[in-house]
Amino acid sequence: MEGTEKGLNLEREGPRAMKRLAGVGVIFALAGALFLLSFEIPSMPGQLGPAFWPRMTLVLLMVSCGIKAFEVLKERRMEKKESVAEDGEIMAGRLIAMILLTFATVYLMEVLGFFLAVVFFMFAFLGIAGMRFGLSMCSVSVLGTVALTYLFVKVVYLPLPKGYWVFEGVTLFIYRLLMII
Amino acid sequence: MGGLELLWSGLVSALAPINLAMVTLGLFIGALAGALPGITMLNAIVLVLPFTYGMDMVPSLLLLIGIYCGGVYAGSITGILFNIPGDPMNVPTTWEGFKLNKKGYAAKALGTAVMCSAIGGFLSALVMVLVAPPFARVALSFSSAEYFAVVVLGLVSVVTIGTTSIGSALICLFIGMFLGTIGVDIVYCVPRFTFGWQLMESGIEFTIVLIGLFAIGEVLDQLCVKREVQVEAFRGQAKTELPGFRHFWGLKGSILRGLGAGMAVGAIPGAGATVASFVSYGIERQVSKTPHLFGTGHWPGLAASETSVNGSTGGAMIPLLTLGIPGSGATAVMLGAFLLHGVQPGPLLFEKSPHEVYTIFVGTLLCNLIMILVGVIVARFFAYLMMVPDKILGAFIILFSLIGAFALRNEMADVWFMAIFGVIGFFMRRYDLPVPPLVLGLILGPLGEKYFQTAMAASGNDVTVFFTRPISAGLLLASLGFAVIPLIKKLRKAPVAV
Repeated sequence: MEGTEKGLNLEREGPRAMKRLAGVGVIFALAGALFLLSFEIPSMPGQLGPAFWPRMTLVLLMVSCGIKAFEVLKERRMEKKESVAEDGEIMAGRLIAMILLTFATVYLMEVLGFFLAVVFFMFAFLGIAGMRFGLSMCSVSVLGTVALTYLFVKVVYLPLPKGYWVFEGVTLFIYRLLMII
Repeated sequence: MGGLELLWSGLVSALAPINLAMVTLGLFIGALAGALPGITMLNAIVLVLPFTYGMDMVPSLLLLIGIYCGGVYAGSITGILFNIPGDPMNVPTTWEGFKLNKKGYAAKALGTAVMCSAIGGFLSALVMVLVAPPFARVALSFSSAEYFAVVVLGLVSVVTIGTTSIGSALICLFIGMFLGTIGVDIVYCVPRFTFGWQLMESGIEFTIVLIGLFAIGEVLDQLCVKREVQVEAFRGQAKTELPGFRHFWGLKGSILRGLGAGMAVGAIPGAGATVASFVSYGIERQVSKTPHLFGTGHWPGLAASETSVNGSTGGAMIPLLTLGIPGSGATAVMLGAFLLHGVQPGPLLFEKSPHEVYTIFVGTLLCNLIMILVGVIVARFFAYLMMVPDKILGAFIILFSLIGAFALRNEMADVWFMAIFGVIGFFMRRYDLPVPPLVLGLILGPLGEKYFQTAMAASGNDVTVFFTRPISAGLLLASLGFAVIPLIKKLRKAPVAV
């Protein structure tokens, strides 16, 4: 029984260790590429020059990758317990949706302006997070956006993006409606 | 001006309405952030940091100190009431506090926790006031070589203390140090790794990296990872009962040991409140005549861990103010706040801005006194606050992060960078890559480079300059010890290969 459990652990440990090694390999390769790029930085004869520190950092980063790879291989051999950092299961769909939504909101802040982009973000984010469409979702989204806009535009005088084309006019209209300007 | 005169002027300045308001506001923000699971005190400091840009240095630092002190205490509220520590540093408090709650001592446990936190924080701030100025005077004799050695000590200890994987910590540290080299080099004024992009010439703003890694990464981790957390809900209103003098007199040994452990561990760069709380709890159990009672709702365990958590705040501030080396993640962000206001912490800070330094000292002392009141109020209303769903909190944290990144330079490019670092922060958590070494590398790396290049230029590129000066050599030797001892321990502890 014990032997079977041990076998299962090793089976699970294998792909995880490979994933980690692949990650370490990517970092190593990136550090190597940046090290080669550092030769484009002008050198200073008789001095250490501006390239010395980043080169040293990148070499140490590559050495650290070696240390990490050694650790991963040692852990795999010694059948170490699962790492605490990997305890929960990732909800991949929700994660991808939230990441895409965050980037989309940054883009839309420039195009639609802060107010409209944030209303969109709030509805979409709460929906992705599993909140049901209803009065509470609408009130949190709209009132939350109004409160944030009022606080940062009227009180803190932060020039938040107003958007382009027709959306700039819409944002200004909303600001007038809220007595922000 | 003498020390007492400076203290008096600091007291007058700290009592100015704006400074007092900032301390109180900071305590409330910190208490709310520390107590709400999923938002840490560090998240709150990072989110508030960009908005302090337009403020004077003293009020902005007092605001951050308020968040720091309030945050390290408040995680114990949810620990005692719901068995959910607000922060890892509150885990030992939760072990005893929740058991005391189940025995019917919820109000008294909350009162003991807030009083022990206040005592620990106040006494450690007092030690900081007494120790920091003479320490800064010694540090004034330091040259670039010594400063470089101090930076190395800070970087090495951050990597090795409290980290499970040294390889992961080193990778993060050197990534942070590399990110710190992007932009125009401060010694030779040559652009490095800017790829012809003008915005990159001023380098990557560390505040943007901080917000992304800590705030966005944390929200994604909270909402996109399934966890089985058992919440044993507290029923009724969370009242706080401040116990009498006799109760605390009975706990005097635990409080003093907690204070000592908190101060000592807090002053070690990289250790911080989490390590302090576990160390003090361990010491208390070792010296106790009734160790079997630990974990069953034992007052000395609660008192020692709570005192040490806030006791570490004063300890962590000493290396920050005197040497410019942060002792914890929170003080690393405060170092960022100093730099944001164009001030370099270190011994010269005591020469150039003594009034401001003493205002911060007195403000920290006041902060720990006001915390008792804030703690009682926050605990009282906490049962209601816990009802705010994490998805709503998450949405607002992301929005505050976006606004905060934009507020720094009114540049949308910063917001893009922040969002990218947010995703990186999530995956760093998943792949066992610790965030604090990256942040420390990003902040301390450029300082290290500056001192190294200056020392080398002054000595005609003679590397022995770091080993011929006694303080520099001693610090580098200590750094070597910090790096090698954990490695040896790890190798000794390693189980026999299968």
